[in-house]
Amino acid sequence: MGILIDEAPVTIAARPRTGRRRRQGWRARLSPWLFLAPALLAIGVFKFWPTVWGAYLSFFNVRPYLGNLWLGTANFTRALADPDLRSAVLHTGIDTVTALCLSMLIGFGLALLLEGPAQHLRFLRTAVFLPVVTAMVVVAELWGTLLFPGQYGSVNGLLGDVGLGPYPFLSSPHSALASVIAIQVWKSAPYDMLIFVAGLAGIDRELYEAAAIDGASAWQRLRTITLPGLRPITTIVLTLGVIRGLRVFTEIYVLTSGGPAGSTQTVITYAYSAGVQSNDLGYASAIATMLLVVTVVVTCLLRWWRNRVEAR
Amino acid sequence: MKLSSTIAAVLAVLAGATIVTGCASTPSSSSSSASSSDKGPLSVWIRGNADSEKAYQDIFAAFTKKTGIKVTTFATLTDFETKVNAAAAGHTLPDVVVDDAAQLGAFRAEGVLQQVNRNSIAGGNDLTDLAWTSAKGSDGNYYAVPFSAQANILLVRTDWLNKTGDTKPTTWADLLNVAKSFTTGDPDGDGKADTYGVAVPGSTSRGYISWYWSTFLWEAGGDYFHAAGNGKYTETIDSPQAVTAARWFENLFCTDKVVQPGALNDVTTDSNKAFDTGVAGLYLTGPYAYATMDATSIDNKYTAIAPPAGPKNASTLAEGTDVYLMAGSKHTSAAQQLAEYMITPSAQKLGMTAVPSATIVRLSINRTVNTAAVHDNDPRWVLAQQVYQQQGHYEPDYMPNWPVFRQDTSNALNAMVANCADPTAALHALGAQFTTLLRQQGVLAG
Repeated sequence: MGILIDEAPVTIAARPRTGRRRRQGWRARLSPWLFLAPALLAIGVFKFWPTVWGAYLSFFNVRPYLGNLWLGTANFTRALADPDLRSAVLHTGIDTVTALCLSMLIGFGLALLLEGPAQHLRFLRTAVFLPVVTAMVVVAELWGTLLFPGQYGSVNGLLGDVGLGPYPFLSSPHSALASVIAIQVWKSAPYDMLIFVAGLAGIDRELYEAAAIDGASAWQRLRTITLPGLRPITTIVLTLGVIRGLRVFTEIYVLTSGGPAGSTQTVITYAYSAGVQSNDLGYASAIATMLLVVTVVVTCLLRWWRNRVEAR
Repeated sequence: MKLSSTIAAVLAVLAGATIVTGCASTPSSSSSSASSSDKGPLSVWIRGNADSEKAYQDIFAAFTKKTGIKVTTFATLTDFETKVNAAAAGHTLPDVVVDDAAQLGAFRAEGVLQQVNRNSIAGGNDLTDLAWTSAKGSDGNYYAVPFSAQANILLVRTDWLNKTGDTKPTTWADLLNVAKSFTTGDPDGDGKADTYGVAVPGSTSRGYISWYWSTFLWEAGGDYFHAAGNGKYTETIDSPQAVTAARWFENLFCTDKVVQPGALNDVTTDSNKAFDTGVAGLYLTGPYAYATMDATSIDNKYTAIAPPAGPKNASTLAEGTDVYLMAGSKHTSAAQQLAEYMITPSAQKLGMTAVPSATIVRLSINRTVNTAAVHDNDPRWVLAQQVYQQQGHYEPDYMPNWPVFRQDTSNALNAMVANCADPTAALHALGAQFTTLLRQQGVLAG
């Protein structure tokens, strides 16, 4: 941008022109930012500022009316020693990794099956994609009803017809997390599918044709053409999946509130419970801040990995 | 060159900010004419839904007619206390807040309440002592004016009792027998083993499981704390009585299996559903459930009875709604007048009848008002009134932060029941947590 200024001839006669150009340059530079300003301001006020403010509050015993009390790093040391938070972190980790891997695998499989311009494929893709556009609260409520642990539950009713169950699903500490993960996969796999479909469409068809002429099997084509071609897309799916997993809240809050026996407690549900239900906003902020740091670090690592892979 | 684009960005954002702040700085404080402080207007925040707000507005309209003090209302059920916190942080608290008595300790610890002189409240002598307990802080002073009260009663499916040939339970042993009959005796006659004895909201959300269990704790002769004097306490949550209550509760799930499936994730809307759709036939809940249940297919198929007595007594969980006079109000006198009006017999009756779907006054805290008579002497309300007056026992709302104790108790009970774990060990661990919390809240004795 600054090249405009550098290239202006430095003569007295040219000065007015330079000024105008400079003004034009300023205007040219300012106008996109002016257009962006309302959005930037909204994001700043409603996203960045609360994040910064939350990080600030995590050093205090938050007392909105009487004034906050400085605690130093006490909230953080407490968090690091909190066994309930540790188990919430473990659940979040299990949830993130399992849900991510399963929805990627299923999403990829669906994409291979449903990629293509044919009319019926479009229809099928839309049908498969429906869970994504349904609100998570609705999805959770529906699955809560479907998975009701008695004979009234539709799933248990069907299983009962073939002599199985009834299974407790969400009501046992041994199966609740798995059930919640399954629901997440049901909702997120089609989303991953859509991204993979876009990635598949970007792979040059001629490569497949050439490989087919050379006698490559379907598996060889998948391994040597499709998978390498999807590498950048995979990083995006991974990044989105990790972020989705780390901040999992709605489905758990609606279905189990972190129970039974804390078996589905995740970092966000734990922070919510500490902040809103136990009135401990400072501690909740500390947990949220630590989660933010972890999310940023993981995202940066993924980006670094992507750059390395793509540079090859 | 990079610098110039950065400056441009900053300028743009500043320009935007100016526009926004310009919009925001419309004259908003012009109405703060201090001279008319006694004539309000009062801003009142209510934890309740739209129907409840309408009922309150009816009471406030009568108040405005009588005193000329105008009242504006804001009502929500969603994160109400968080919104109060936000208002507190901005020092823009309303003049009056109407919320659960359970918030008293927390509000007090946050410094957002004005102390109330019980003797200077006009009509305060007409309120029952029990109701005033719900407005008392751990220091013995009062921090609210009680507005409504209730105590848990037991709803029982009468058609199921007839089918199984059981009688209404009056003791824990009876309760268990009926619960077993309901679970195994196919009371709905559909030939399937799809009915259960007891509906329990066993979720940790909002502390439901502990809230429900409190009745059993008191019936076993236990309590959460022992008052050591001077506003200091020790925990008694791992006492033998508490262990008895926990073991009895756990057996319902683990040994006798008489609780509706999935109870440990259920909040009250789910347990209401379990009762009104014929999944479970016994439900310990508040009298506000009458209106809910009467609107379903089990209308006339259930009755309300006093909670069956435990090993020590028949105490039952009492709860209430309090009127809180908020700190920093410019209209303290008008706010007190409103609270005084809300406890008058006419306002109390309005609260029971103005909006049928929202009985914001469940049981009147005013002893000159006969709640049952207002409900056409419905025997269920007669019972609710009796149970509250004779057996009502409030949670320790006076603690500086009671909700955190309730949450910890809920987590412990939910985990204990889910794993069918040893109650003694579970409550012992909870007791240690309680001691830490008491110390953190500055009320630990010794």
